[in-house]
Parts: sequence; structure tokens; C-alpha cells
Amino acid sequence: MNFATLMIEVIGAFAVLSAIGVLLTRDNLYAALYMSVTMLLISAIYAVYNVQQVVVLIAFVFVGAVGMITIAIAATYRYVPTRKVNIVWIAPVIIVFAVASYFYYKFATSNIETQGLNLAFERFSTDYALLIVFLFSLIILMMLSAIKLARRVEL
Amino acid sequence: MSQLFVILATSLAILLIAYLTAISSKDLIRLLISLELMFGSVFLVVLPMFSLNPSTAFAIVVLTIFTSSSELLILITAIVLLDRTKRGVDMEKVSVGGEVM
Repeated sequence: MNFATLMIEVIGAFAVLSAIGVLLTRDNLYAALYMSVTMLLISAIYAVYNVQQVVVLIAFVFVGAVGMITIAIAATYRYVPTRKVNIVWIAPVIIVFAVASYFYYKFATSNIETQGLNLAFERFSTDYALLIVFLFSLIILMMLSAIKLARRVEL
Repeated sequence: MSQLFVILATSLAILLIAYLTAISSKDLIRLLISLELMFGSVFLVVLPMFSLNPSTAFAIVVLTIFTSSSELLILITAIVLLDRTKRGVDMEKVSVGGEVM
């Protein structure tokens, strides 16, 4: 086992523990905080492979914007709801995880080598220019729709 | 254990925990949090693709971030509207659609 694999195992274990924290905590604010920690740990796994562009995207855009807005919303509507983990669903979840993990263990035996990333990121803006334009259009359309929806409902 | 196995197993674990959170959530905010956890799982699944086709993998990451942002925008609007009309963000206040519990 090399150092990178050990790092991924440790970070992955903490990410799963943090996700379990989202499931088990009763307060939405702490759930949002655990969710942000999970996302930061996922970006840390990307950092192990030196995919820095995605680390920046996840850490600053996803956690920095989406995560912080979620925390703000959870803090605004902060109360302790009556939440209970449905025990009936835990057994199928464990079975699915066990079966999938067995096949992953059997067939996913290769290591991950990330090479030629700089060239790929340089080509991204030209290869996927249309995708970026469409995505920006989608976000603007969503924002206008959200504003229209919010104004339609009377206070 | 191979690196691919660790990443795929971690991703699956986070996805299943997010499903459990969504199933057991009683309010829209917890549902929003569980949806974002699912997107976190998607980010992990995309990672092995960077060794095969980095450009496409990066496009999928960007697409995922935009999709997640759009979902957040709509769900926040839904939370605000539900709070205005029903005076709360509980799932039980939603009376249209879905299954009768």
C-alpha cells in the first residue's frame, strides 16, 4: 500500500463518518455543517491526485457558495424537527452496499493515474464553449424563474 | 485494496447515506442537504474518469456544479414559498402530490 492509497482511505473514512453525521444529527444547522465538511474532504481526495482545478471548484464554488447558502438557510429556519431514521430501509441499504462493494473489490483493482491534466484543462474552454454558454443560460433562466415564482405569491 | 475500489466504495457509501437522509427527512432543508450529499457522491465517481479522459471528466464536474446550483436555487425558492404559504417547511405541510402516508 502506497502513501496515496493510505491518504485516500483515511480521507474517505472521515468523509463517510461526516456523511453519517448528516444522517444522525437532529439539528439542520449541524447537518449543513457536516455536509460542507464532507464536500471539503471529497475535494481533499481530488487534491491527493493533484487535480487542483476541481479542488478549487468544489472548495470555493460548491462549498463556498452552495454550502454556505445551505448553512444560512438552515440557520434561518433553525428548529429541531421530529426526525427519525427509518430502520426498515437500513437493511436494504446494507445489502446493496455489501453486494456492490464485493464486486468493486473483485473487479475494480486498478490504481488511478492522472496525467496530461494541464493540456486537457487548456482545451476545455474551446472544446466545451457551447456547453458553458448553455449552462450560463440555464442559470440565468433559473434565476428569472425563481424571482417570478417568489413574486407571484402574496405575503 | 486498490485506489479505484476505495473511491467507488466511499462514493457508494455517501450516496446510500444521502438516500437514507432523504427518506428520513421531515423537512425540506434536510432534503436539500441530502441532495447536495448525492452530488458529492457524483464528484467522487467522476474522479477515476480523470485518468481516462480528463477533458470530458472536467466537463462533467462543471455540469454537475451548475446542475447542483440550479437545484439549490429552485429548492430555496420552494422553501421560501412553502414557508410563506404554509407557515413552515415540514414535509407534512405539502398536501399535493406524492404518496399518502
